[in-house]
Amino acid sequence: MSHHKLEVRELHFAYPDRHKAVNGISFSARHGESIGIIGANGAGKSTLLLLLMGILLPQKGMILVGDVEVTKKTLPMIRERMGMVFQNPDDQLFMTTVYEDVAFGPRNYKLSEKEVEARVMTALDHVGITHLKDRAPFRLSGGEKRAAAIAAVLSMQPDILIMDEPSAGLDPKSRRRMMGLLQSFEHTKLITSHDLDMIYDLCERTIVVKGGEIAADGPTVEILADEALMDACGLELPFALQNCPVCGSKAMPQQHQHSKK
Amino acid sequence: MHMADALISPAVGGAMWAATSGVAAYSMKKIQVDLDEKKIPMMGVMGAFVFAAQMINFSIPGTGSSGHIGGGLLLAVLLGPQAGFLTMASILAIQALFFADGGLLAFGCNVFNLGFYTCFIAYPLIYKRLTRNGHSEKRIFAASLLSTLLGLQLGAFSVVLQTVFSGKTELPFGTFVMLMQPIHLAIGLVEGLVTAAVVAFVWKASPDILENVAKEKALGSISTRKVLTGLLIAVLLVGGVFSWFASANPDGLEWAMLKTAGTAELEATNKLHAVLSDIQSKTAFLPDYSFKASDSEEASAAGEEAWPVVNAGTSVSGILGGGLTLLAAALTGLTINMIKKRRKRAGFEC
Amino acid sequence: MSNISEALYNMRFMDDLARRNTLVHRLHPLAKLASTLAFLAAVVSVERYEISGLLPFFFYPVIVFALAELPIKPMVKRILMVEPFIIGIGILNPLFDQHIVMLGGVAVSRGWITFLSIFIKCGLTVAAALILLATTGMDRLASALRMLGIPKLFVLQLTLTYRYISVLLEEVGRILNAYALRAPGQKGIHWKSWGSLAGQLILRTFERAQSVYGAMCLRGFDGEYRTGDGQRFCTTDLAYMAVWVMFFIIVRFVDIPGLLGLVVTGGIK
Repeated sequence: MSHHKLEVRELHFAYPDRHKAVNGISFSARHGESIGIIGANGAGKSTLLLLLMGILLPQKGMILVGDVEVTKKTLPMIRERMGMVFQNPDDQLFMTTVYEDVAFGPRNYKLSEKEVEARVMTALDHVGITHLKDRAPFRLSGGEKRAAAIAAVLSMQPDILIMDEPSAGLDPKSRRRMMGLLQSFEHTKLITSHDLDMIYDLCERTIVVKGGEIAADGPTVEILADEALMDACGLELPFALQNCPVCGSKAMPQQHQHSKK
Repeated sequence: MHMADALISPAVGGAMWAATSGVAAYSMKKIQVDLDEKKIPMMGVMGAFVFAAQMINFSIPGTGSSGHIGGGLLLAVLLGPQAGFLTMASILAIQALFFADGGLLAFGCNVFNLGFYTCFIAYPLIYKRLTRNGHSEKRIFAASLLSTLLGLQLGAFSVVLQTVFSGKTELPFGTFVMLMQPIHLAIGLVEGLVTAAVVAFVWKASPDILENVAKEKALGSISTRKVLTGLLIAVLLVGGVFSWFASANPDGLEWAMLKTAGTAELEATNKLHAVLSDIQSKTAFLPDYSFKASDSEEASAAGEEAWPVVNAGTSVSGILGGGLTLLAAALTGLTINMIKKRRKRAGFEC
Repeated sequence: MSNISEALYNMRFMDDLARRNTLVHRLHPLAKLASTLAFLAAVVSVERYEISGLLPFFFYPVIVFALAELPIKPMVKRILMVEPFIIGIGILNPLFDQHIVMLGGVAVSRGWITFLSIFIKCGLTVAAALILLATTGMDRLASALRMLGIPKLFVLQLTLTYRYISVLLEEVGRILNAYALRAPGQKGIHWKSWGSLAGQLILRTFERAQSVYGAMCLRGFDGEYRTGDGQRFCTTDLAYMAVWVMFFIIVRFVDIPGLLGLVVTGGIK
């Protein structure tokens, strides 16, 4: 399907203080692709996401979702197709109960209350928190909040999912659960994160951003293993590719076994 | 400075609810006309900020005590007067519900006392005037301090008026005023200094926030000031006259005036009451005494309002009856509890 | 600091109570709101010299407490926590009105009667407000407000404030902790940090508000607040409301303790 395609052409954006946050970024995402966007703090990842969602509008260049350009006029249509999960779920869950929050989007697209309910329940079921539907967001744990924020986006039935640091602040088990959840989605996915091991597990392709420009774009296995590139961009190898902390041997964890002394 | 339900009469509560609703409706309309939907989340989150920031103790140098942030003016400065007023209303509603801080009937009084004077009197008349010719740290400081002071003084005076009109306490008007105003001068000074420091900081760090709000004209122009003055007069009239006439027994103001004046007339009525209640307490011991009827007879015969005499509490049977009523209430509660427990044990869901 | 954790605990506590499922909780929020307002109006309209007329009103909180299975001790504690303020104002009554009346053969200053009346009224009105919230919850209360025709955007703003209070309380708590750790033995915030401490927080709050607005826009917010249909108002709700309003009217105009007392004293003699 063509409308799952996302294309970014020569994007430029500078903040009012003239700081050039995005400086000529171009890439395109195929339907169903899962792309990791990594880079040091201040590299321009978050600005890029805000541009994609049309919260900020670019000074130069264009973004195409399917065949539609992101402009002020097309925003309602664009936002129906692309869902973004914020880094801080507290910014995203602004209603008094989980149900109301997940229903907020569909209601704004003027669906019937019956359809809204069906969508909300499906979304909650998908992330496995139907039992929390009447809870207030401030009574949820970090992992539950994240799940609710994802459900709030899923209920819009987007084709493309954009996630800002989905594993930030989660305990290891919740992180693992969230990763399993993301893996089950067939959507086109764009994930920014400093959690390189998660990117390694979830994304087949990775884009490295540095100083508002793309420093590298290619298969995750190659990019994340490129020690020189990672170092130059303020990153480091994922733990999965670092030397074994026990015996120091440099190999894939699943491929080597420690010799018992 | 929160008014409580227990201190107000329905008439005063109702009148202030009406006044507050009027101002709120006007403010809401203004925001909707401006099509400034961005303001809604701003107001929501800033309301939560003021709520939380009131928990911060700002220590006052050399005294060992501490003061708090003043909400109303800060909101008016950061969001504009209409948005500030509505935000204050939300904060007070939540305080009333969750912390029983100020009641539901007194809600109108509280929003008016804490929101109206700061946002619609002190802000346009002092703050805007002083910062009219551009912002500077000194000007912002002086403007915030003076506006907070004025807002709080008006609010405190409003509390006195509402309490006296309601006539639930014995506090004479003069004494109450002499008590409230100086206390709130001190409180206002601290609140004003804290607010001024905060506003000045925000201006230095991010001047566009204040300047955007300052650009909103409307309130600076004369026509709206006329509207506001009219509104204020209307409110005072409604609050005063309505509460006077609406209560069957206008004891509020009359009593306040008598009391503060301390006239001979008062003594006379007091003696009369003494005689009446004396008679009443004696006769009440008679077994077949229907005091309800004779009470009103006596009262009307004496040309008196039925106030101190109506209460059955002056007789033994009244006290006994009161005790029995409470006992019955408690027993009803216990019975329901027992039934519920039994049904639960039997596996019913209730 | 204890203030903040107390406030947070209090909000969670009330939220927990509101999520229970009892007869009273299931009622339509409007029915409960109307009963509460009728109760408040009736209680507040009682004359200041009247104590006995207030007593039958205790039936309302007691019965609703039992029906809604509200925990008595923590709720009563919350009600009493408000009383000191009222005592502060009311305690002056005995000073200003020392006129003596006879109360069942005992001489009492009338000021004490008015003081007691205010004290009881405070307890009753505070109880009613807390009961309303503890059996309804903020979200359903907001839906009742919308049904009453309160502008939706105001209701949205109110629920947003409610939603972000806990977030901001936690944030303020962290800031105060960080301050206290680096300013040992200091009570409150030093005047040199007044502006910057609260000011920084305001700037951050503005940023947060902007991202909340962003999150709303991403899900199609266009200045119109759309909500679900809300609960249906059925006969049970009407009955609940009608019974209480009738009860309040009767109790307000008929002196039940007086009659009860008469019956008893008449019987004894």
